[in-house]
Amino acid sequence: MSYIPIGPIHPGLKEPLRLKLKTEGENVVDAEVDLGYFYRGAEQLAKGKPWQKVAYLTERVCGICSNAHPITLIEGLEKIAEFVPSTRIQFLRVIMAELNRIHSHLLANSIYFLAIEHETLGIYLLNTREKILDLLEMISGNRILYSWNIVGGVRMDIKESHLKKILKNLDEVESEVFRNRKMFKTGPFLGLRSRDIGKMSKEDAIGARAVGPVARGSGVKFDWRMKHSTYIDYFDFEPIYRNEGDNYARIMNRFDEILQSINIIRMAIDELPNGPIREECEIPPGTIDYRYEAPRGELAYIFETAQYGIIRNITIRTPTIMNLEACVKHMFKDSPTIADAIAIYQTIDPCIACTERVIVLNEKGEKTEFKGLQNVVKKYGTSPKTGMTSQGNNK
Amino acid sequence: MLKDFIRKRSIHICLVCTGGCNGCDIEVAALLSQRYDLEQYGIFLHNNPRECDALLVTGTVAKQWQEKLVEFYDKVPEPKAVVAIGACALSGGIFQQEGDKVSAPVSDIIPVDAEVPGCPPRPAEIASAVLKYVPPALASYRRKS
Ligand code: SF4
Repeated sequence: MSYIPIGPIHPGLKEPLRLKLKTEGENVVDAEVDLGYFYRGAEQLAKGKPWQKVAYLTERVCGICSNAHPITLIEGLEKIAEFVPSTRIQFLRVIMAELNRIHSHLLANSIYFLAIEHETLGIYLLNTREKILDLLEMISGNRILYSWNIVGGVRMDIKESHLKKILKNLDEVESEVFRNRKMFKTGPFLGLRSRDIGKMSKEDAIGARAVGPVARGSGVKFDWRMKHSTYIDYFDFEPIYRNEGDNYARIMNRFDEILQSINIIRMAIDELPNGPIREECEIPPGTIDYRYEAPRGELAYIFETAQYGIIRNITIRTPTIMNLEACVKHMFKDSPTIADAIAIYQTIDPCIACTERVIVLNEKGEKTEFKGLQNVVKKYGTSPKTGMTSQGNNK
Repeated sequence: MLKDFIRKRSIHICLVCTGGCNGCDIEVAALLSQRYDLEQYGIFLHNNPRECDALLVTGTVAKQWQEKLVEFYDKVPEPKAVVAIGACALSGGIFQQEGDKVSAPVSDIIPVDAEVPGCPPRPAEIASAVLKYVPPALASYRRKS
């Protein structure tokens, strides 16, 4: 029995995080995760600011899902105002969201292939991703952070000439993804590294509250897009899922979702209606719990507004925190070697920048150990309600 | 002598994210793609501080990184250079507001040789900054010590 610490900066990891693997020979029997290298306190900064400023902040919670975060906030605000945007706005938002999803999934798969040392596929996928980034840049003016969604509409229109370029690039991306998916499906060594490794059953996935492609790779048929009014009304959306629950299933699921997103964008472009791209919308005081399917899974924004769109209080829950737990609790048990543990960790597409929402400080402002809510309750006798539930408040 | 000559053409870099939004980190990752092809310019990206020549620092320097970043900097073998990337590393960017929990800029904590502004900067800008400023910084580092 020995412990292997990995991180915070390590050739196998792309973001700072500390993994402590408990091993027996080459088998990983248990693992611990140590977070806290990324805390910036976006929720604290958002308090008492108008939504225009908060939208920029939420975008910078995570640079990879930088469309999902602001859109969750903004659609939530519109729900509070009981405002329904025009069909054109809804379609434009779908196009942007799906382009962002494709870019995120391509990056996730490419990092997995780099983690299992299959550089060819990894770099092919990175190159395919550049075509999507070109489209995002053409639409919004920036490659990574778009600042494109606003309450009541979108900032810039997608023009006819843009649509042609989008369709052209999507055709190229589709053929490349088909080719790379086939390489992954039929490659014997890729299969050896991916099939039957890091298995998680459906019950475990539900128990650990896994979300997104991680849960769908284990047979959970759920996607928040199923409950999104635009997707219900115009795109008859059906989630893609697989039953294997191993690394192969998660990566394959992402490949299939890329192809599905391409089809959704094509459908949206085909039927793109005319109409205004921005409408007036005033935000009254109110509270909401709004959820949206980010590339990595369920993203929850719970917030309270005051008059004139001032954000009073905001709580963000991001998908990776649940997926990380699923990974550590269930997937690592099935890891034959330590190298595979890193590969398993990459298949959940971890985004640590999203995950870091809380830091626990003592009264002097130094960082302290935090071993779970139950210990705090035991020591100080506060009920969980008044103690540690609201994120970002525990200073 | 020989080492200096060779180091001009082969720079090993280590990416350290100290708490930004990931945007800058994925732009560094995008450099690996064939479009930018970082390795063609003799730059090799791996995340191992013990064998790198230059540190690329992104992010706002979160609480835990304040001391760790100095330790990290000490681990890098001499001569060494530091490139700070993004508005976060240069000034704290959007997170530098009243009531923040960050201790940017990076240059307060470790010596920085080149700064790349932008939120995030484009990959080509990052590559050109590394190519232009890291070799002279490595050469002049020797003279300092
Ligand atoms: S500079 Fe901008 S893109 Fe880079 S880490 Fe900071 S917020 Fe993200």
